[in-house]
Amino acid sequence: MGDLSSLSRTLEFIKGKFAEYYERASSKLKPPSSLERRELGFSLFEGGIIRHKRFTSLDGLTSTLKALAPSDVYYSCAYYERPDATMEEKGWLGADLTFDIDADRIRTACEKAHDSWVCTSCGAAGRGVAPGACPTCNGSKFEETTWLCDVCLEPAKAEVLKLLEFLVDDLGLSEDDIDVYFSGHRGYHVHVESDVVRGLDAEARREVVDYVMGIGLDIRLHGFEIRGTRRPRVVSCPKLDDVGWRGRLAKGVYEFLSIATRESLEGIGLRDKVIDIILAQRDQLLKGWGLLKGVDVNGWRRIAKKGAELRSANVDPVVTTDVHRLIRLAGTLHGKTALRKVKAPLSGIEGFDPLKEAVAFERGEVTIFVYEAPEFRLGERTYGPFKEKMVELPTAAALILLCKGVAIVR
Amino acid sequence: MLMERMILTKEDLAKYPFLREAAEYVEDLGLKVEDLDDFAYEQVINRAEERVQEAILYAIITKRSYNNDVEILSFPIAILIISTIGDNFLKRRYALAEAKRAYNLLKLENEEKILIMAKNFNWIISFNDKGVIEGLPYKFSIHFINYLKNATSIKGEKWKLINRILIEGNVPLMKGEVARLLAEEVRRYVEKKLDVKELPNLPMGLARRVEMLRALFTREEGKASLEEVPKAVVTSAFPPCVRASYEMTLLGKHIPHVSRFTLTSFLINVGVPVDKVIDLFRNLSDFNERMTRYQVEHIAGERGSRVRYIPPKCSTLRTYGVCVNVDEICKVVQHPLSYYKKKLQLK
Ligand code: SF4
Ligand SMILES: [Zn+2]
Ligand SMILES: [Zn+2]
Repeated sequence: MGDLSSLSRTLEFIKGKFAEYYERASSKLKPPSSLERRELGFSLFEGGIIRHKRFTSLDGLTSTLKALAPSDVYYSCAYYERPDATMEEKGWLGADLTFDIDADRIRTACEKAHDSWVCTSCGAAGRGVAPGACPTCNGSKFEETTWLCDVCLEPAKAEVLKLLEFLVDDLGLSEDDIDVYFSGHRGYHVHVESDVVRGLDAEARREVVDYVMGIGLDIRLHGFEIRGTRRPRVVSCPKLDDVGWRGRLAKGVYEFLSIATRESLEGIGLRDKVIDIILAQRDQLLKGWGLLKGVDVNGWRRIAKKGAELRSANVDPVVTTDVHRLIRLAGTLHGKTALRKVKAPLSGIEGFDPLKEAVAFERGEVTIFVYEAPEFRLGERTYGPFKEKMVELPTAAALILLCKGVAIVR
Repeated sequence: MLMERMILTKEDLAKYPFLREAAEYVEDLGLKVEDLDDFAYEQVINRAEERVQEAILYAIITKRSYNNDVEILSFPIAILIISTIGDNFLKRRYALAEAKRAYNLLKLENEEKILIMAKNFNWIISFNDKGVIEGLPYKFSIHFINYLKNATSIKGEKWKLINRILIEGNVPLMKGEVARLLAEEVRRYVEKKLDVKELPNLPMGLARRVEMLRALFTREEGKASLEEVPKAVVTSAFPPCVRASYEMTLLGKHIPHVSRFTLTSFLINVGVPVDKVIDLFRNLSDFNERMTRYQVEHIAGERGSRVRYIPPKCSTLRTYGVCVNVDEICKVVQHPLSYYKKKLQLK
């Protein structure tokens, strides 16, 4: 790739733009609640991370942002007595409940088209998401290039909606205490700031994660009554309008069975006989929800598991259970895209367009040299695909390519 | 609040000496540590000693004095004794014993009394107006925060939040279940009580009794540790989760971070020497001796914080997707190490 001077020129350029952004936008920046109780952290374009910082005022924070122009800005979901002390001496006082919904965790058909990886030990490369181990050398470290994409972000939004239902209907949390953000790259963050959840320990948070992800669900405790010991069978099932997980299970199972094909039923490991029974009774099922006769207990378990999967929210368990987690600060730029972390409205999130709302640079054009980039959309326009080409692009679009490392300023 | 306070009798305080009111009662008596050798406290000291003895020997307190004052006063003194002995394992054991004692008494109480007890611990709890759900008497409704604080340390599928009914933040519960959760609250409360920073000087007589109890504890603990995991490592008794990671690693395949931590801490805890564990990772293409040694020694407690880590429990491994190919033994254990012990017994 580019010679050293054009690389450092590119870095200078990006950093300059970030500084310009913080110069211009700092008045609009909203600090996290109880700023003085939070740990702040910054990743730098020069490499390295600065952690354990404490700010008592927004002014202090914004002047640091202007001076430092960091690639990423984080704050702790936790509240501390001494946010600037070492981890052991911070004095944990509680933490917001946070969820990360990452498009990378959700398989989409287009990732093959726009994502790629290179093995750092042997240089082997491929399309899509990096494998667990390199097929050539078995190595486990990869340079991954994931792309910002409408199609990939859409299912993430669906996960957010499912999560919100859990938080409000089941956990009884108030919508006023919940904020949803587009992270500026590949997913959504959901923050709950409330006295109710602040004191939850890691174990309790893990139970919440299991609850929203459908992990450890025992169908017998959710309306699937099983009778008989020698030849057990399912004698009743939850109803579509039941509350909580019962209703979810019923709906998930109904949803799965009503469009199931022989292949998808084989896919969950059902025996041929059971599949025949299900397909034969399907019309009846679509007319009214009820128990299918002749499906054994094991079969029901598999079907219910699938049903639960459809209704659960796919969050990253590590983020939610980590009570010291640093998360991106709203209103700051993502170092891989130069897009802002922006709030999405709770009602009307369906119509929220992350690739429009997150744009931080509305003006100017930049000419850059692009090595290779797939087609992408930003706001109302689409760009690319590009290959080894000088192009003039609006600042925001150019910055995405520069930040992703697929283009340089000559 | 006032009304609830009135309903608690002195006998209640004797049954539940951890209640706020019981502590206030003791405080009002103005008892001094240096007076404890006084003959007037003979009965109280005897009873405190009995509490501790039962906890050491059976991990439950069953006996009871029918003198309410003795019962109430012996509790803070037992706490003083355990704190003086100072062993963390004993502290946990004592808290557990008091919790079990409380549970056995709570189960027999009526619903009003249960409600008062729960409110004493500041729970958000009410009578459930629906009452019966699917034929079961869900008389109570408690906030999920209070539920989780206590339920996470109770074993069993039915205590997982996901296997509960949860409506707008509230979990409907039956009386026995509330009693069980309360017992857990008691356990945590007693554990916290035992965490005293400054210990008073005990008068001679009491100090001597404490020494005898310490000796009793040391003897019992010695017996228990003989039952620990045997030295020879039996790979065929590894649980499925560990075995999967183990085999992948033998094949030189990379495994996720959580799996690697689980595997390493498991091996260390069943007695595999640090060097042998490091050798296992040699097959990996990006093996780095220094890094690996650092990590393994850290987990083995030979560095830094000097604590030896144990593998995460099954429920955690399930959350992170490490739990695979569960078998019959898995269904009765909550921890990969208990799986190993259990399987060894079956062999
Ligand atoms: S149940 Fe426990 S021991 Fe069994 S595979 Fe899962 S995590 Fe391992
Ligand atoms: Zn490779
Ligand atoms: Zn895509």
